[in-house]
Amino acid sequence: MSERFHWRRARAVFWKDFLDLRKNPGLIVSMLALPVVLVIVPGVVVYSYVRNPDDPNLRVLATYYDATLPLGVNSARFLIERTLTDWFGLFLMMPVFVPILISSQAVAGEKERRTLEPLLASPVTAAELMVGKSLASLVPAVAISWAAFLLFCAVVDAVAWPFLKVLLMPNAMWLFGVAVIAPLFAFFGNGIAVVISARVAEARLAQQLAGLFVLPLVGLVGGQVAGFLQAGPEYYAIQGAVVLLLDCVLVVVGVRLFDRERLISRWT
Amino acid sequence: MDAILVEGLAKRFGARTAVEGLTFRVGEGEVFGLLGPNGAGKTTTVRMLAGLLSPSAGRATVTGLSIRAGEPLRRVVGLLTEHPGLYDRLTGRENLEFFIRLNELDVATAWPRAELYLERFGLKGRENEPAGGYSKGMRQKLAIVRSLVHDPKVLFLDEPTSGLDPESARAVRDSVAELARDGRTIVLCSHNLAEVERLCQRVAVVKGRLLAVSGVRELRRQGLSLRVEVEGEAARFTAALAGLPFAPGVLTEGRVLRVLLSDEAQAPDVIACLVGAGARVRSATHGERPLEEVYLELVREEAAA
Repeated sequence: MSERFHWRRARAVFWKDFLDLRKNPGLIVSMLALPVVLVIVPGVVVYSYVRNPDDPNLRVLATYYDATLPLGVNSARFLIERTLTDWFGLFLMMPVFVPILISSQAVAGEKERRTLEPLLASPVTAAELMVGKSLASLVPAVAISWAAFLLFCAVVDAVAWPFLKVLLMPNAMWLFGVAVIAPLFAFFGNGIAVVISARVAEARLAQQLAGLFVLPLVGLVGGQVAGFLQAGPEYYAIQGAVVLLLDCVLVVVGVRLFDRERLISRWT
Repeated sequence: MDAILVEGLAKRFGARTAVEGLTFRVGEGEVFGLLGPNGAGKTTTVRMLAGLLSPSAGRATVTGLSIRAGEPLRRVVGLLTEHPGLYDRLTGRENLEFFIRLNELDVATAWPRAELYLERFGLKGRENEPAGGYSKGMRQKLAIVRSLVHDPKVLFLDEPTSGLDPESARAVRDSVAELARDGRTIVLCSHNLAEVERLCQRVAVVKGRLLAVSGVRELRRQGLSLRVEVEGEAARFTAALAGLPFAPGVLTEGRVLRVLLSDEAQAPDVIACLVGAGARVRSATHGERPLEEVYLELVREEAAA
């Protein structure tokens, strides 16, 4: 049977999921917790560097990261810029994590609430369902990431300006990263959550399993902080390219798993 | 004209056969019952007819559309699933609006029809409350309204009164009866045989395969029985009837004996036996068997086979 894609039905799924999300304060709080942490913590770190920029310990710390650091370079500014570069790796957790929270509800939540069968009995096609549900997860994830980025810039500049008299944020790497790489990561988080959500019976289990996929990101940032990995625009561009490839794989797998017959016979 | 035409329909899940060899017709505007024990394949049959599952063999059409048609078929059928499946955080109205949108209907145009059903099912005035706060009966009624918002030609109702208290069950039954009066084709899956007897004109009994398909009255007339009303407790005379050469099956209830016969000619012998045993017979009529009895007999015969 051939089923044409109708944007109107995909929009209906998006409308319902978005409405449901707005009425779920628990989920909204969970979604906002990570951005708050990811904005406040770097503000505190930057403040710890700028409150006493002449502290000789900063020079020691800076040479740990770059042994060839010239003597005339402001160590506080070097460390702040280094922190901001490394922090982008952690910041990328947000566009992955938020869709995981939302999309885990996508299919597993419908199974749990026993709403899957009436939904599949409607004219909506599997592709429309997947697109509608993915949009309901991606739009808030990207919007939250961008809003958090603006707040992040404001906090960092507000903290650093009195001491350095220079606007550190936004810089080109962050702008490119937030505009291009963050949506790719959001797509990845959504894809992982949708695929897992289609395979398990409970939304909570889907969330827990999908959440494991954030750990490699934490590991990478750990490598950066430990000095094993040198973060920078090229490094993040490579991450973005790898995630783009994974996104393509997830689309193929997701479409296969969103098979109406498979969902009905297995889960209802 | 047939609203539903089923020929040799079968569904297998791997090595397991859920149903096979189903053949029946449902006329336009008819209320058709689908009976069978748990796991008999009723829900699988309904899911195939509603376009949710593809058959493994056979063919069927619903309002002339093949059940393999997919989306066009799902546009013309309504399905009430066994569980209401409502979005609890959404209001009743939002639940309905979602399905109006999924059917690509304009909400402003389709809402008056939904409102009409809300009124008919006693939900008017409650539509702006979260569905999570609805009683079980209200949830079921909202789910019925949801299956009607796109004005389907054929409505499949899977256990519409399952788990409801008697009052809610009655309200839902009345609602279904009203829908039937509108001339809509309805397929009703139910374990409640009294409900089926009351609502359906014809039934199919399935247990992995088709055991019977017939009008309800014709089915009840299958096998002969004699209803005899006597003075006093009827149970006193069962021993006497057991002594007859053809040893008929006997059911008693108060003053009434229901004697199962294999031949109409046995009726005078039964009456003579009762009179001989001292019974004062007030009336004797050939009776229809309750649907339950016919149904159980069919299912047991199948199990024995």
